Amino acid sequence: MGLQRIILEQRPRLLRFLAARGAGDEAEDLLQDLWQRMSAATTQPVADPVSYLFRAAENLMRDRRRSMMSRERREHDWHDSSDRGEDHPQGERVLIARERLREAEGVLLGLGPRVDHVFRRCRLEGASQPAIARELGISLSSVEKDLQKAYRALADLKAKFDAE
Amino acid sequence: MSSNEEMDEAARLWAIRMQDPSFDDWDGFTAWLESHPAHLARYEHVLAADDWAQDLFRTPPSAFEPAPAPHAGGPPRRRWAWPAMGGLLAASLALLATWTMLGHDGGAQEFVTGPGEHRTIALADGSQVVLNGGTRISLDPRAPRAVALAQGEALFTVRHDEARPFVVTANGATLLDAGTMFNVVSQNGAMRVAVAEGAVIYEPGPGQVRLDPGDALSVSARGARPVVSRVNRAAVGSWQQRQLLYDDATLDDVALDLARNIGQPVRVAGDAGRMRFTGALMLGDTPRQTLDRAGPLLGVRFEARGDVWTMTPTHAMSQ
Repeated sequence: MGLQRIILEQRPRLLRFLAARGAGDEAEDLLQDLWQRMSAATTQPVADPVSYLFRAAENLMRDRRRSMMSRERREHDWHDSSDRGEDHPQGERVLIARERLREAEGVLLGLGPRVDHVFRRCRLEGASQPAIARELGISLSSVEKDLQKAYRALADLKAKFDAE
Repeated sequence: MSSNEEMDEAARLWAIRMQDPSFDDWDGFTAWLESHPAHLARYEHVLAADDWAQDLFRTPPSAFEPAPAPHAGGPPRRRWAWPAMGGLLAASLALLATWTMLGHDGGAQEFVTGPGEHRTIALADGSQVVLNGGTRISLDPRAPRAVALAQGEALFTVRHDEARPFVVTANGATLLDAGTMFNVVSQNGAMRVAVAEGAVIYEPGPGQVRLDPGDALSVSARGARPVVSRVNRAAVGSWQQRQLLYDDATLDDVALDLARNIGQPVRVAGDAGRMRFTGALMLGDTPRQTLDRAGPLLGVRFEARGDVWTMTPTHAMSQ
């Protein structure tokens, strides 16, 4: 069954999702975008086409947001560097980033060896959450909780840096 | 716990659950977003914090340090691999470039990146070169303002000095920096340069071509007539941020970029090469992840045979 046909069937759900996800008035346009990208008659079956479409819609929203943010950041950096010129070498920024990276690694270790391990396996080595749960002999929800702790600590660290 | 914190916890859990490819509670997620006007903002806030963390963990361990003294092999490098987390972390994995330096004893030094690797090289004058995967450049410490791009793609951020011009040679052509930031691709005999900031002079001399921000120049073969076009200057060198930005590009060009960035060949089948694409592709952790995400956006399907990928229009799959 073509993905486009499923878009038609799932149209109200997808529109509702896109609207809630921040598309607002553009939900219809974005669904149209999705429609064009999912050309008709894909013979290769997607395991769960409905979920596949929702994920494509989620990614569309993330990419939109990210390209918007990076455009803003670039414009900001551009003004920043033309204002400050040589006083603000890019190398200094990287040195700061490396200092912060060390601090972030310290924060993760401070959450205990298991949280640190789960975060590293998942985020840095790319292992799936069920695989990590099996390796450690813990439940999937324990893995989720460990990741949540790590994310929370990193978000707190970001807030701290932002305030500096 | 303030309500923002509670909302952030819930938002994080959604982001974490969504990482699992079998996640299917989209209605639950929609209902959560709708249940409070601040939920969407908290969710975006969580995604932004994760983007930030992702950038942080991509910080090159040794970028901007003085170029190390030539010796065989390099120090062990950490490899940061990020798993799939939809678009959020798909920009992920910066395989930090391993590097090799050849030509000891004060001669030209060669820097090589493997497939999918990135490497930042700080030059003595404060200029910087970021190498994309599968790239080889050489520099001579005795002539620190001259870089030869033998193969691949590099983003140059040059400290401009009227008295000492910065020169890049690529595919037999000479590029003279008259400003700050430009990207050069040299691949299969073709060369393409795009300028983000400042200006670049192509083949300085009587027939020189001046390229300003947003200008791109391509040469299909060594000595061929250069063709100048306009590009989105924000897209120049965007591969460094693990994304590829396009404005009405042919999929032939997109396939070349994908191949260079995933480190595996991408073959164009059917009429895919003539299709066009405008938008952003995020680079993933693995070739498969990158292509799985790119496929639906490009309207093509990627199939692997060994290490070679074939790109076929989705609409051609119905036979």
